[in-house]
Amino acid sequence: MSKLTTLSEAVASIPTGSHVALSGFATARCAMAFAHETIRQGTNRLTVSQCVAGIEADMLVGAGAVERIVYGGGSRGRSGQHHCICRAIEQGILITEELSSLSMTFRNLAGALGLPFIPIRSLNGSDILNQLMQLNPPVVGRVTDPFTGDEWLVLKPLIPDVAVIQVQVADEEGNAWILGPRWDNEEQAKASKRTVVITERLVSTEAIRRAPEQTVIPGFRVSHVVHLPFAAHPSSVYGVYDFDEEHIALYADASKTPQGFQGYLDNYVYGVKDHWGYMELVGGMSRMKDLEADPVLGY
Amino acid sequence: MAADLEYTSFELMAVTGARELKDGEIVAVGLGLPVVASFLAKRTHAPNLTILLELGVVDPEPIDIGSGLSDPRFWYRAKMHTSFADMLGMVLHKGLVDVGFLGGLEVDAYGNLNTTQLGDPKGKFRRFTGSGGGNDLASCARRTVIIIRHDSRKLKEAVSFITSPGYLRGNGERASVGLTGGPARVITDKAVFGFDPESKRMMLQAIHPNTTLEDVLSNMAFEPIVPSDVVVTEPPTAEQLRLIREEIDPDRLYAGS
Repeated sequence: MSKLTTLSEAVASIPTGSHVALSGFATARCAMAFAHETIRQGTNRLTVSQCVAGIEADMLVGAGAVERIVYGGGSRGRSGQHHCICRAIEQGILITEELSSLSMTFRNLAGALGLPFIPIRSLNGSDILNQLMQLNPPVVGRVTDPFTGDEWLVLKPLIPDVAVIQVQVADEEGNAWILGPRWDNEEQAKASKRTVVITERLVSTEAIRRAPEQTVIPGFRVSHVVHLPFAAHPSSVYGVYDFDEEHIALYADASKTPQGFQGYLDNYVYGVKDHWGYMELVGGMSRMKDLEADPVLGY
Repeated sequence: MAADLEYTSFELMAVTGARELKDGEIVAVGLGLPVVASFLAKRTHAPNLTILLELGVVDPEPIDIGSGLSDPRFWYRAKMHTSFADMLGMVLHKGLVDVGFLGGLEVDAYGNLNTTQLGDPKGKFRRFTGSGGGNDLASCARRTVIIIRHDSRKLKEAVSFITSPGYLRGNGERASVGLTGGPARVITDKAVFGFDPESKRMMLQAIHPNTTLEDVLSNMAFEPIVPSDVVVTEPPTAEQLRLIREEIDPDRLYAGS
């Protein structure tokens, strides 16, 4: 069954207040076009979950679309902190459920496996755990191992309402290939009640059937497929295009202040009708050609 | 001969970091100096080192060192592209990672690291990166090596927020919360530290060439244990410097900083 739709319809399927798992990692495979459209449609009070924060999460937080973030921390790497997320935490206007990379992954894995909780060695003795213990309803607990008698820290599973996953290749059913490292995207998609796939390339199901070992998300888990080239710009999509260093620097600079960030939104998000308008504004095909990945290097 | 070589403190720290890695070990790296240290070890005394990136990369051989974990330059020529569940779960959590490199905003006398926030957690504070895989490495790796700038604002008696546990308040407290392993070494731009086997308090091990004991101690906000057998850090060799400058980081993306 074809689930092919527009970005606008896929975003409209997500009600205010939903829990959305996002696929980005720092500046890689971030669901940027999704973030833009969510902001334009005014969807808000979202819970956003992500293993390591990407720039799409930073933008959604900066735009006031996010009420609560469940994440393992993160920055953009050498280009600095996620200013909007840091500012919102400092100002106390973002409910923060902060973990680590592995504890986020385990919570998604537990959600994907349908387990009631999952034991973990991480977090013990840290102030991250002390903060999590303050949360109500609780997300951490203790159980005794019935085999050894050892006491274990356990985590509550994550079951997001929807995972929004930026992929390289998918068909109309949503059978999706993630190429390159995939961090916790598979666990996010499989923990979630449904998945929205945003794909750089749309191929026939026959093409998927010829390399099924590359499928990470099978179509039966997918509610919407959006075919949108360069939908992760300015982040990278391994094997398809590199990150746009100049545009990320521009965003990094703008997002240092609320005024600068608002200017960025006015220009690149509210100032355009859709993803195609954004593409024109950031340099169109000629810029995208520069970012195109070399097939050997992958960037 | 070695005394004639000129090198930066970054290069000395990278070489010192590389020396911490043994052939055949599994190391998890992130950003910056540990990357240079790990690739240097692999090209010299530890050819069978396995380098892991938490987001799902095994043994990459980058030709451009890249801007961080998420930069695909860093994933080039890997032997495997996989996931967090594999790298941090099935390798790290299972107990197979020998060494994890960690950096941070501040470290304390017992090797506890803060990468989360500076200031009063209940009042005014400045927010930074948080954990990422840092807490997981500190909790699950067999040992960790901490790389940090030698500055009394960064070397504290107690950190204001424990993102990644070291020995907590020392003397067996780490074991009492169910953790094994712990920090083995702290490498700064002035010195190298270990930890006292009993108290687990930081203990001076070596002072970098052209630095004095007074300079080391006066730039720390706590007193480390100073044993009588403190040595001078072994300087880089010409070959190590050549590898860093010509092969590992030719554009000085890291080593220039």
